[in-house]
Amino acid sequence: MHPLRPILRPLLLLLLAIGLVPFTATDGMAADQLVVYSGRAERLIKPVLDAFQAKTGIQVNLLSSGTTEIVNRLQAEGDRTTADVFLTNDAGSLERARELSLLLPLELANIEQAIPASFRALDNSWVGLSGRFWVLVYNTGLLKPAEVRSILDLADQRWKGKIAIPNAGSEYLQAGVSVIKAVYGDDRTQQFLTGLRDNAGTSVYGKSSQIVDAIAKGQVAMGLVNHYYLYRYVSDHPDAPLALSMLDQQAGGMGAIMNVAGVGIVKHSRHVDAAKRLVEFLASREGQKLFADLNKEYPLHPDVLADPALPKRESFRAATVPLTKLGELREPTMALIERAGLR
Amino acid sequence: MNMVVRQTFPTSLSVIALTVAGLICLPLLFIGYLALSADPSVWGRLWDTRIPELLLNTGALALGVSIGTLLLGVSLAWLVVRYEFVGRSVWEWALVLPLAMPTYVLAYLYTYLLGAGGPVEHLWQWWAGPEARVLSPYSFTGATLVMTLDTFPFVYLLTRAALLNVNVSFEEVARACGASRLSVWRRVTLPLLRPAIVAGLSLVILYVVSDFGAVSLLRYQTFTYAVYQQVTGRYDQTAAAVLSLLLVFFALIFLITERWFRRRSRFYQTTGRYRTSPRQPCGPLGATLITAYLALVLGASFGIPAWLLIQWTVSATAEGAVDARFFGFVWNSVALSGLAATAAVLIGTPLAYLANRWPSKLNVACLQAAYAGYVLPGPVGALAILILASHLIPFWYGTVLVLIIAYVVHFLPAGLQTMEPALQQITPNLEEASRSLGLGTFRTLRHVTLPLVKGGFIAAWVLMFLQCIKELPATLLLRPVGFDTLAVRVWLEASEEYFQLAAPSALLIVIVALPALLLLVSKDWRAA
Repeated sequence: MHPLRPILRPLLLLLLAIGLVPFTATDGMAADQLVVYSGRAERLIKPVLDAFQAKTGIQVNLLSSGTTEIVNRLQAEGDRTTADVFLTNDAGSLERARELSLLLPLELANIEQAIPASFRALDNSWVGLSGRFWVLVYNTGLLKPAEVRSILDLADQRWKGKIAIPNAGSEYLQAGVSVIKAVYGDDRTQQFLTGLRDNAGTSVYGKSSQIVDAIAKGQVAMGLVNHYYLYRYVSDHPDAPLALSMLDQQAGGMGAIMNVAGVGIVKHSRHVDAAKRLVEFLASREGQKLFADLNKEYPLHPDVLADPALPKRESFRAATVPLTKLGELREPTMALIERAGLR
Repeated sequence: MNMVVRQTFPTSLSVIALTVAGLICLPLLFIGYLALSADPSVWGRLWDTRIPELLLNTGALALGVSIGTLLLGVSLAWLVVRYEFVGRSVWEWALVLPLAMPTYVLAYLYTYLLGAGGPVEHLWQWWAGPEARVLSPYSFTGATLVMTLDTFPFVYLLTRAALLNVNVSFEEVARACGASRLSVWRRVTLPLLRPAIVAGLSLVILYVVSDFGAVSLLRYQTFTYAVYQQVTGRYDQTAAAVLSLLLVFFALIFLITERWFRRRSRFYQTTGRYRTSPRQPCGPLGATLITAYLALVLGASFGIPAWLLIQWTVSATAEGAVDARFFGFVWNSVALSGLAATAAVLIGTPLAYLANRWPSKLNVACLQAAYAGYVLPGPVGALAILILASHLIPFWYGTVLVLIIAYVVHFLPAGLQTMEPALQQITPNLEEASRSLGLGTFRTLRHVTLPLVKGGFIAAWVLMFLQCIKELPATLLLRPVGFDTLAVRVWLEASEEYFQLAAPSALLIVIVALPALLLLVSKDWRAA
């Protein structure tokens, strides 16, 4: 007998079996199949895609990962990508993907009617789907809402050790700082960031849900998160002493910091028609309602109403910095964030 | 005969070895190139913002864990070697169990145990009043505690082995000359143990500096965590490369210093007539105290965590978390690790074979190059391979293949440490006999050498397989989109604080690691 045989055979079998693994997940060659790269959490998008699949019969394969990782990956995969649609939670990243020519410009009349122009790329290579606001969530036992009016107040020394923030890798933080930078300029933004860093100390979190949790438990008095994290937490803990405050609503204030989740068709998609149908579905009344309500976000379609639990959209102002600026501001903003020593 | 062999033999195998060594070194070189060619302003910016803090944090953690493991490891070894009490041999064996628990598993359990509203806080508040707080796990103290509990067995094992080898005559002579017990310990025993303790501590320090799992879950900013954040949060990887290069640089300096010290300490080896120390019997009080101490350490580092994992796994299973998807993760882990371990053995064979049979400068250099993976902590190696793959082999980017390459680079050193002794143990005469009887190079390798070293190679395979199973940072950074392994699931669920959902995967990793631990403890466990 061959001396290696006892090891060889199982090894060969293993090799054979493993050879099949990577190809089963991403093989989306059939015409009625779509591969969606999503930076949005799986449980927030899967039901919408399931509804689309039930309605059209187009099978959707969902691959979830971090937003920046996906952009980097799309860039590396180039024209070999199997992705058809890129969907994520940050206009800055969508705009960045557009600048890198990873997305396909669109001309779709019904989308242009459904979603206002301020929530789309200039060439429609990405289309906003829902609005989210970067707000102050606070513990009602530890802070009164009148104490903080503007986001810049958070750099004040009196809040030392009282505030939780996301880490520098957070797209929400980056987009928020981009807006502040666009409104107030580099120096004031830098001042703000240094103060914020000192006040946050070690309360720098990787997940917004952890920030809300820490506020609810009274470990910190307040934190900066997207508005829906509050509702998500409260649905599990109805008695939590939490509330949110839309900042910068005072006269002459810059308005609340807004970002959108959005979608674009990958330039090298081989299923552009099916992908267009998905984008149209997401922008339609039905898709908008589903998409926004799953995460208590604001639908962008003017005729679709937001979840009644949310503050009425008319009751507060959003900052006027165009979303398309978030892409070009991203790297300079990151430099600012880094210079301020946020981690 | 030898001359003939030297001239005709190496070409084919050498080419393989050279290629492999080159490929393995490539990531390291590339990181260096990327970092050194970076705009000086990037270095300046990082120096102003991140580097001092990271240096301080990483250094402080290494120091804190060293002190902790020194105290725990040496005291435990001393107790189980020098005293006799009920259950001693069980404790002696059980104290290595914490090594079966990856740092991220222990860290995640401690974020629950020490977290706000967790059991430790409840207990403390019951005793000290409702306003009392315990130390946060998300701190220097928390990270030090978790890493200490996870790594003290390194120091324990080496010190214990050294204590067993200490010739008791030295101590007796010292006592006879009038030295007190304390001064015997300080002036005779401790110096004899020093090489072992230093070796154990250096393992601990390397482990701490390259750990990603615990520091990321405890949000303690060290170099590895900072590199990971840069890789996932930025489009531009230059800053990540700069931080990586610094980390590799410090790891190298440390390794070289450690080698140097070890070389100097050679004269400590004992020779001549040899007797081990008798164990001192303990009274009931002494035995109780010792047992309580051992139980406290082992309970904190393994008992309570394992019990929690089992509890959570049971309740998670009841809620249906162990479903087809879970078995998909198991399959991903097993298949991936199996393939990587196989590839590493195949790649390691020519390297180890050539360097040990034909130790020309070139061949030895190839082998040394393969050990480069040692100084590449997980996130750093992953970053290098990520950038390399996206530039050189973009069609493989985001496939399992890239991940396997990362595993091989990272774990081949551990495998080679087991493969090399296996090769060294068989005499070259057997191969020479085979060749003089007319078998060629490859047939000799196949029919004579490999069957003889099979045991060692299988051990190496198992070892690398298990390390791949629990590997975290490279898997996080390089896995195909949507391709999760058990380790990744533990980390993802734990960082979302879904403690119960993380438990089945974590428990499985621990269970799988146990037999390997036994294998290692009985043989060469250093690579764990």
